[in-house]
Amino acid sequence: MAADKLTGAPLIDVRELSKDFRTFKRREGVWGSIQNLFVRDYMTVNAVDRVSFEVKPGEMVGYIGPNGAGKSTSIKMLTGILMPSSGEARVNGFVPYKQRRQYVKTIGVVFGQRTQLWWDIAVVESFKLLRRIYEVSERDFQERMERFNQILGIQDYLFTPVRKLSLGERMRCDLAAALLHNPPLLFLDEPTIGLDVVAKDQIRKFLRAINREFQTTVLLTTHDLDDIEELCRRIMIIDHGRLLYDGPLDLLKQKLLRTKQIKFAVKDSAQLAGVHAFTRDGLELEQVDQLTYRIRFDRVKVSTADLIRQILNSVEVRDLLIEDEPIEEVVKRIYAGAALQEVAL
Amino acid sequence: MTSNPGGRERKNIENWPRQLMRSFWRHCILFGEYLSQYAKMRMEYRGDFIVSTATSFAATIFALFFVVVLFRKIPSLAGWTFPEEIFLYGFSLLPYGIFNIISLNLYDFGNNYIIEGKFDRVMLRPISTLFQVLFEQFRLESIQEIATGLFCMGWASSRLHVHWTAGKFSLLVFWGACAGIIYVSVFLLLTTISFWFEDRIGVHPPVWNVIAFGRYPLSIYSGVVQFFLCWIIPFGLASFYPSVRLLGHTVTPEYLPFVPVVALAFLVFAIFMWNFGTRHYSSTGS
Repeated sequence: MAADKLTGAPLIDVRELSKDFRTFKRREGVWGSIQNLFVRDYMTVNAVDRVSFEVKPGEMVGYIGPNGAGKSTSIKMLTGILMPSSGEARVNGFVPYKQRRQYVKTIGVVFGQRTQLWWDIAVVESFKLLRRIYEVSERDFQERMERFNQILGIQDYLFTPVRKLSLGERMRCDLAAALLHNPPLLFLDEPTIGLDVVAKDQIRKFLRAINREFQTTVLLTTHDLDDIEELCRRIMIIDHGRLLYDGPLDLLKQKLLRTKQIKFAVKDSAQLAGVHAFTRDGLELEQVDQLTYRIRFDRVKVSTADLIRQILNSVEVRDLLIEDEPIEEVVKRIYAGAALQEVAL
Repeated sequence: MTSNPGGRERKNIENWPRQLMRSFWRHCILFGEYLSQYAKMRMEYRGDFIVSTATSFAATIFALFFVVVLFRKIPSLAGWTFPEEIFLYGFSLLPYGIFNIISLNLYDFGNNYIIEGKFDRVMLRPISTLFQVLFEQFRLESIQEIATGLFCMGWASSRLHVHWTAGKFSLLVFWGACAGIIYVSVFLLLTTISFWFEDRIGVHPPVWNVIAFGRYPLSIYSGVVQFFLCWIIPFGLASFYPSVRLLGHTVTPEYLPFVPVVALAFLVFAIFMWNFGTRHYSSTGS
């Protein structure tokens, strides 16, 4: 991803985008559901609440948030399925829900939970029909199929009915199907959900490749933060419909990764007495197994270098590892609201 | 920016007849593609295809058998002889077959597309949503209904010495198509209700039962029922007046000219409601 590509006009331009849903409180039980038929207490839910952002050509942006945060609603508005309650969205120069038919030719969409392929027939038949629907020339079609085969290795099951594919195989085919018309912009909703490590890795590799080769811009939602770490330099965090963070992943880590941990293994059980010197304020000592310990600490309050020196001086250490707090923990804290004031960058 | 939608739109307005032709042609090609896609799918389950064709054919024959039994007890029905009734019956099978072939998906629309969320995917493709929903599935075995209908009309024609000319045959195609449009549009209208009410079963079954009323001469019904079958759910209008004309009879009042008018009106209204429903879907989600 070259830096100069990011200076172009935004591909996605979203201003104060909101979506309200009117729902009613469902009562429980049989009697409750009978009551539901006649009396409904309506309430308005702000699924997406005045969200603004821009995405430039060539970017790969991770869009994360807990379940029900508004990710899918945002994606549906950006892909033209849902009409916003207020605010504006311009994507690829179109207003998605107004110019649906022209607009959807310029995007690719993959929903991890749902396939867009024809369930009962061979994969290749779906590709052929999609070629017609998107008016892709035979030459482009052949060229792209070849390239997809190279990276995704889908040629082995092109003639298998979709219903007989494993989830990983199906996902690869779905990705290829979404990119058959070479859209400049790709939306992915949980592309790696339920996949094994190998399939996840292959899909990430593919996404990096198409981003590099075709400058495809990617906006992806995920629950798997490894996806983000491996693919995206920029993340957006949404919760309760509000955008909580929009910026580089590195900056988020730098600002919010406060907890570090040192894992060390001592030489023998004679060292145990020395280890217990570290059960003091600001340090959190935990025994991992017989000879291995982990100390968690706040890197702002405790100097990492000092702590290591102290450990090495007081016990005989066989092995030592310094780790950052997993990004999951950071995100969990953001969702919990604890890190909100820190996010105000 | 990779595209210039403003400019493209202006061009669209200038060339709209050509654009319309191009779009029409494109949809014709896509129709063929969707049909062959579905045929391939059915061939995956050949046994199922054979069994369902057989049961569907049996259903047609049983319904026909009822008419045969009826006419063994009575010489004529409101002045209609047995061969004449078979002719009417045969004609009414044409729109019924057309409707069955292309409207399979309408039955399951609320469940399949709205509740299960398949409609999202439909909206992500650069072709008409209605086109996709209508043509993603076909009930190919219902070709037997059209074949049976034509056979009945052929048999009745030979008994009644009805002579078929090219002109008469093209009228048959025209009125058959009008009647087919009426059937499909009525069920399409019922389908659009799913955009507002999440409902797994839908409101099709009671109206589906009304189809049987269109298989008998309108004159056997009371005035209220006749009005209902001509203007509210016009299955009577669709098959009765064309059959009368094709048999060379006359009837008063003569509503034949209204058949294409009603077909067009129902179609336009159904498409309008479909688009209206699609907009509702975009504003509420599912």
